[in-house]
Amino acid sequence: MPTLAVDPLHDRFAAIVGARNAVSTASELRTYECDGLLGFRIRPRIVVLPATTEEVAACVRLAAEHGLPIVPRGAGTGLSGGSLPVEGGIVIGTSRMTRVLDIDLPNRRMRVQPGVINLDISKHLAPHGFYYAPDPSSQSVCTIGGNVAENSGGAHCLKYGFTVNHAVAARVVLSDGSVVDIGASEGEADAHGYDLMGVFVGSEGLLGIVTEVVVRILRKPEATRTIFGTFPSTDEAGAAVSAIISSGILPAAIEMCDQLAIEAIVAATGVDWPLDVGAALLMDVDGVSVEVEHTAEAAITLMRAAGAIEIRAPRDDAERLLMWKGRKAAFAAMGRISPNYHVQDGVIPRKDISAVLREIAQLGRDAGLRIANVFHAGDGNLHPLVLYDQRIPGEEATAEAVAGDILRVCLKYGGSVTGEHGVGRDKACYLGEQFSDDDLDTMKLVRSAFDPRSIFNPDKVFPTPRLCGDRPGVYVPHPTELTGEAGRG
Amino acid sequence: MNQTLSIAGVTPERTLVPADRVELAAIVRDLYAAGRTFAFVGGGTELELGNQPRAIDTAVRTTALDRVIDYSPEDQTITVEAGMRVAALDDVLAQHDQLLPIDVGDRNNATIGGAIATNAFGARRHRYGSIKDLIVGIEFVRPDGVIAHGGGKVVKNVAGFDLPKLMVGSLGTLGGIASATFRVFPKPAATRAVLARTSPASGFFDACMDDRSLEPIAVAHHLAQGGIMLTFAGLAASVEQQLAHLATLASTHAVTIDALDSGALERFTAAESEIRCSGAWRWTVSTNPVGARASLASPVATTAEIGYPTFGVTLVSAADDVSIEALAAERGPAIVFRAMPRRARARIDAWGEPPASFPLMRALKFNFDPKGLCNPGRFVGGL
Repeated sequence: MPTLAVDPLHDRFAAIVGARNAVSTASELRTYECDGLLGFRIRPRIVVLPATTEEVAACVRLAAEHGLPIVPRGAGTGLSGGSLPVEGGIVIGTSRMTRVLDIDLPNRRMRVQPGVINLDISKHLAPHGFYYAPDPSSQSVCTIGGNVAENSGGAHCLKYGFTVNHAVAARVVLSDGSVVDIGASEGEADAHGYDLMGVFVGSEGLLGIVTEVVVRILRKPEATRTIFGTFPSTDEAGAAVSAIISSGILPAAIEMCDQLAIEAIVAATGVDWPLDVGAALLMDVDGVSVEVEHTAEAAITLMRAAGAIEIRAPRDDAERLLMWKGRKAAFAAMGRISPNYHVQDGVIPRKDISAVLREIAQLGRDAGLRIANVFHAGDGNLHPLVLYDQRIPGEEATAEAVAGDILRVCLKYGGSVTGEHGVGRDKACYLGEQFSDDDLDTMKLVRSAFDPRSIFNPDKVFPTPRLCGDRPGVYVPHPTELTGEAGRG
Repeated sequence: MNQTLSIAGVTPERTLVPADRVELAAIVRDLYAAGRTFAFVGGGTELELGNQPRAIDTAVRTTALDRVIDYSPEDQTITVEAGMRVAALDDVLAQHDQLLPIDVGDRNNATIGGAIATNAFGARRHRYGSIKDLIVGIEFVRPDGVIAHGGGKVVKNVAGFDLPKLMVGSLGTLGGIASATFRVFPKPAATRAVLARTSPASGFFDACMDDRSLEPIAVAHHLAQGGIMLTFAGLAASVEQQLAHLATLASTHAVTIDALDSGALERFTAAESEIRCSGAWRWTVSTNPVGARASLASPVATTAEIGYPTFGVTLVSAADDVSIEALAAERGPAIVFRAMPRRARARIDAWGEPPASFPLMRALKFNFDPKGLCNPGRFVGGL
């Protein structure tokens, strides 16, 4: 295909990945200017979409030769700006690498290319009675390569753990273009030597680019029971979560929505939830059927004791799916009740949910802004959505300030500034409030072992004076969210 | 204070026992500045693990760092100092009917820091995963004496690089663990174990692992006891139902099942501990489910335990050196020697060939310990 590209490097990248997979025209580059954090936009110099490990390696070598920074990208659904391009740099997207390479049922392993969509892994496994556990709300569009970079979570991580507990090995292209296998090799349970895979997962594209991922697969549980309960306020709902966790019950997922979130979800999905309640919990219990029945009954008892108004089960599988679809599309649903919103991802100890939600509500009242909450309550992973109207002068800045104060509340309670969305560009300036300079320097020792010249994803994760002088980003929904194809959180 | 220690064949000139974490950091900083070699020692239950260090002037024992820093039973997290004994931690958690499902050979002596550094695991890995799956935060002293933290005190956290995972299994070559935070679990209401008189290669075993009505928390093959121990835990009704289901499955496969009472369970636990703590030759095979079965065919193994599909096999042998060395020569990277007679150390690398990613490991080690003073030579590839 003839190209109008004027960039002299275009042809050299095109020679590696093919002309149609090397993007350097302004109009085509627009797609790659941002990820799910739409408030930040930077146009990269060139975007390449390789199909093989060898092509990724050749692209990295070429970029390194010319001193170009490299930003790895999966599906671009990340919420922290982890795939935000660097001015003058290249983006290596793995979305064309969509092959399933091996399904090894006896050893409960599956090897895939990084562009395979999270939900598709489970779809491939369904006929065999297996599935892949981590289930970010964007699972119908996000890719496993991005999940590895972000250590993605999801509702059912409460019982089953995060990407780092399920991605056991990877083939990685390093900053010099070399290819290396890390993690447990075939026939091994654990990595031999340092657990490079353990530290690679969640490194947000700063250590290398995965070109193959080996994941653990799980047998589907015998039974799953879904419970929906409503409460007068988040106080009672939070108390119910704390009671359930401290009683020793381990549901697969416990999700909370407050009144504003319920209103938005009902408006967006039509799910039959009452609007005149202060909060709701959506819970899955799974496992051996007898255990599930008893666990569900025990959880229901605790919910009633905490002050539940109504507790019910979905009438059928269709309603169950609708309830979960409603939960997973919650962020997108915010458009029904507010022109704009800023989402946070802080984590707190689970015993403090009610207290922290009260503090967050107070921050909202003080600032004159509404804050909706829809989150992974069982993990203590909050997603406060600060609602605002961009058209009102000053409101956006106020929302950003409130969002920052929410993170500081999480830190005050001994928590974290991010539970699953990653630090990326968005929260780099808060990382220094969670970790000391020595802690961050130690993490940089890891980085420089992998990438001595910081070629991969510069200006991410670690706070720098230049970065932290910038204005924080504003959340704008991803197009796939608006169409209901994918949700968040 | 001086104690006689031998670390994989090397006797340190002296042993220092810091009283707290600040002193731990100060000691390490001084040693590093003085260019002296050192190694961290917890309970001293795995001192034979790995290769003979090139030199160790000073052993830094963490056993006085035995405090609970923060325990939140209602949040199911605990932060403890690295020198706390595993059994002491068990006692603290038991007061709130909770547990940390880490399996070590010698609970009374092994420390939490040592368990992390050696990536200790056992049969309960089947349900709870390994330390990597349980640890949520770490504080450690780098070889240059700088105190560093990774992770945190909450169960979900992706802020910063995952230093806790990096420290698991690093055998004190990247620094000395000062404290760690774990996710803990409620004690199940009921726990029952049975011994199935069969082998992991049997059709019955496959059927158990594939049956969605069975969710054992621990699976271990005990060669010496002639069978597979399956442990079920949870609500009493659920445990009873699973045992009944297992009995039906066993009868269709003509496999004998023996229920183990508490006395028998104690004997099994003691036997498992004995396997992990004694014997001139000990090695662990970290392998996948298919490999875990194959390893049992090893002609030199006299006893073994496995978790399935938890991938660990500890083999203890009474066989002669010649056949063990033949095994070592043929092995893949999955076999790690946890103990060997001193006479064999010159001929057998405890870790085998380093993996392809070894250059990255060497770079990491260099960045953390550019002078090469911290436990030098004991780990994979001479790190």
